[in-house]
Amino acid sequence: MTHGAWQALLADWRVFAIGLEHTLLAAALALVFATLLGVIFGLLGVAPLSSARTLNRVYVEGIRNTPLLLQAFFLYYGLPRVHIVLPVLAVGVVSLSIYTGAFIAEVVRAGIQSVPRGQLEAAYSQGFDFVRAMRYIVLPQALRVIIPPYTNQCVNLVKNTQILSLIAGTDLVYQADTWSSETLLYGVAYITVAVLYLAITLPLANLSRWLERRVGGPVEARADA
Amino acid sequence: MKHRSFVLFLAAIAAVMLSGAVAKPAAADALADIKTRGVLNVGVKADVLDFGFLNPKTNQYEGYEIDIARELAKRLLGDPNKVKFTTVTPKTRSALLDSGELDLVIATFTITDQRKLVLDFSPPYFTDGIALLVQKSSGIKGLADLNNKTIGVAKGADTATRLTNKAADMGNVLLNFSAFETYGEILAALQAGRVQAFSTDGAILKYYEQQDPSTVILPDRYSNEDYGVANKKGNDSLRDWVTAQINDLRNSGALKRWQQKWGIYTENQSIK
Repeated sequence: MTHGAWQALLADWRVFAIGLEHTLLAAALALVFATLLGVIFGLLGVAPLSSARTLNRVYVEGIRNTPLLLQAFFLYYGLPRVHIVLPVLAVGVVSLSIYTGAFIAEVVRAGIQSVPRGQLEAAYSQGFDFVRAMRYIVLPQALRVIIPPYTNQCVNLVKNTQILSLIAGTDLVYQADTWSSETLLYGVAYITVAVLYLAITLPLANLSRWLERRVGGPVEARADA
Repeated sequence: MKHRSFVLFLAAIAAVMLSGAVAKPAAADALADIKTRGVLNVGVKADVLDFGFLNPKTNQYEGYEIDIARELAKRLLGDPNKVKFTTVTPKTRSALLDSGELDLVIATFTITDQRKLVLDFSPPYFTDGIALLVQKSSGIKGLADLNNKTIGVAKGADTATRLTNKAADMGNVLLNFSAFETYGEILAALQAGRVQAFSTDGAILKYYEQQDPSTVILPDRYSNEDYGVANKKGNDSLRDWVTAQINDLRNSGALKRWQQKWGIYTENQSIK
């Protein structure tokens, strides 16, 4: 790994900029949809209706127990057989959203169930229905439990965008692969990709820590505030 | 605390980079090292019929390039079986040479000027041309029909560069490329309509044309691909020895004989 290798990489910075752009785009879109799916299915998991809870189980267990790559390959290679040809970026966003959504659903369900049941019952006794009890009483308390594992899922999602590289998705890893296959300078290429991933995930982790403080630490500490 | 661990991380990266720059000097005498070790480590293909193919029935490697590797082992170590084969792909083959895991790569590895900056190559032992595999029903007859279409290629191969140069010569032909990890995935992408052509060297395509009878290899060849035996830069004794052996094998007619044995011999190829 020489000085010349880094110069060659700098000269071709656009290759990596394109990869970064697509990785960021896929991650951002998938984060939004995965969070939506996670909240909806997480709530279904604690809903009073048993059919809603069954739906939650089928989604969560079916998706989180099969490999992400297999799900992406299904969308990429399989669906065209029935004449549904999603663009490659959409394949990435859809598969990442569905996959990460299943994990977030579990995070949300566990967070809600960590709030003592008495809170929900007290809310019911005050005339709240399920949706309002969740909105005003349970979810604000659950949030403190949810945020740290939710951040884990977000960071995983960002890193999992690399599945795009296996379906010609021009993300960071794919671009690095393509560039280094021409130049054979894979060392500098992969170090650069690692640093760029860090540049995305470290701020994400910091944001989460800031949010945790905003939402509040232990209950005692909040009583003083 | 947080900043400290980040600095530590950067230091670790720096250490890796420095070690890449200074450590692992090329062996003083790679040839002598192999003799001491008593086995020649060679990277070969496992999925290119008649060149480097891991026969699923026998679990043995076979093909033209395997014959060359065995002959080199015989000449260096006195026994054609003193060779350890490792399957490589276009993406892994140069990394495995760099790391010292392999002495030689004999794996449909095309000699290019850019690769010669990083690796040493023997003189060519085979010349192939880049070809196109398409769906018969697509009506595609050649590169010109692929304007604005997508061509599937292998990661680590030089196919895209070669075809782009060819298209530039033709003018008004704009090609898109999608690169995949394995040839099998490119065929799947072709079948799924993700790409409109599967392109690599004609010899490699032959196997996939057999796999899917609805596909056909187009007759045109778009570049000369000279295959060479690759070794890590700095192993001069090994390079010089391999070069002498390949020249000798060509002059003695052995290369031609093996090509005929595997049915890959052609008097002249139609390079367009």
